[in-house]
Amino acid sequence: MARPVFGKVNARQEAGRSRVAHLDRDRTLVEAAQRNPSAFEPLYRRYLAQVYSYAYYELGDHHDAEDATERTFLLALTHLGRFEERARPADGAGASTFRVWLFRIARNVVSNQRRTLRRHPEAPLDAVAVMPDPLDVERRAVEREDAAAAWSAVGRLPADRRRALVLRFVDEMTTAEIAGVLGRSENAVRVLIHRALRSVARDLTGSRRGEGSPGEEGRPA
Amino acid sequence: MTLPLRDRIEADAVLTDLYLDALLAAQARRATDVPSSTDLDPTIRFAAGRLSSDLARVHPSFRFEERLAARLAEVASRMRLAAAAGGGDMPALADSGVDPALDPAFAPGLDPAADPEGSHLARPLLIGGALTSAALSLAGAAYVAWRRTHPAVPPMARAVRAVAQARLTQGGRPRGLA
Repeated sequence: MARPVFGKVNARQEAGRSRVAHLDRDRTLVEAAQRNPSAFEPLYRRYLAQVYSYAYYELGDHHDAEDATERTFLLALTHLGRFEERARPADGAGASTFRVWLFRIARNVVSNQRRTLRRHPEAPLDAVAVMPDPLDVERRAVEREDAAAAWSAVGRLPADRRRALVLRFVDEMTTAEIAGVLGRSENAVRVLIHRALRSVARDLTGSRRGEGSPGEEGRPA
Repeated sequence: MTLPLRDRIEADAVLTDLYLDALLAAQARRATDVPSSTDLDPTIRFAAGRLSSDLARVHPSFRFEERLAARLAEVASRMRLAAAAGGGDMPALADSGVDPALDPAFAPGLDPAADPEGSHLARPLLIGGALTSAALSLAGAAYVAWRRTHPAVPPMARAVRAVAQARLTQGGRPRGLA
């Protein structure tokens, strides 16, 4: 069962909170922004690229990702007064329940946008791809192909596995944070990521085998 | 001893998790040596290595970043004004497309159909202004009506009345007149 990150506060939680609240690395910034909404900017700058990346990998389009990012931050700003910290010692020193809260908003915004758009990510990869260096075009081309293959493999995963991998690798979240965002237990998230990596490995090695020796052509990926 | 399948998967998942922690931490400090774990399935190591290098974080354009920063600052200043004017809770964004019921991060009672972030923030001020002007209008109308039924007394008539009243009360010249 998922830990109650944002559940109702009971007396026991309240007592524990004063002991562990310092764990949230965003605490000072969040409190400042709660007192004065104009102080929200540092939080925005800190998490803009992460939220945008999440939205981009989910929606597969820059404009849609911009829309989702904008809505996420506007919602976070206007609802910041309702945010309550729930950090635990087990979350680790770098934990941020504000980040979990923000990504839960982002997840909802993105889900809603996907429902509206009725679109699945197509991995255009125009942002992931790097500008070709004229001196090293071949290496860049290989890198670009590798990135495209990796993202295609991730894009073929079921939504929950894909989401977990993006949060782990792109947003560099801990398992506890991903559990908070996805509303699952940490154990379930570990298994989700483990299985997702197996699928990606099968996909990548399969496609590599297909591209590789001519004798292996036609083998199913 | 062999573990049941479910336990084995969970044990492997824990190993994978530890490996990912080490891998991502090594990348964060730009370490060249990649952590190795002999217990971990090599295919998992391969996939993790590929994803950690190929799934890049995407940055939005500078123009978008600054435009959104300006919009957030504008909304924040409206929120401050609303709070200073006694406007209550922060309203929901109607155009956000988020159903607050979907997420416990949003407290119940938010109206998803409320106005977008701009108009409702000014609503307390608008309501106050409207009430004030309506009250003034009513008072003005009442004053005009009263003046019509109570026509003003000319200054000379007021002076004559004051003199007459003084004579009655003091039996002579009114007080204050030389």
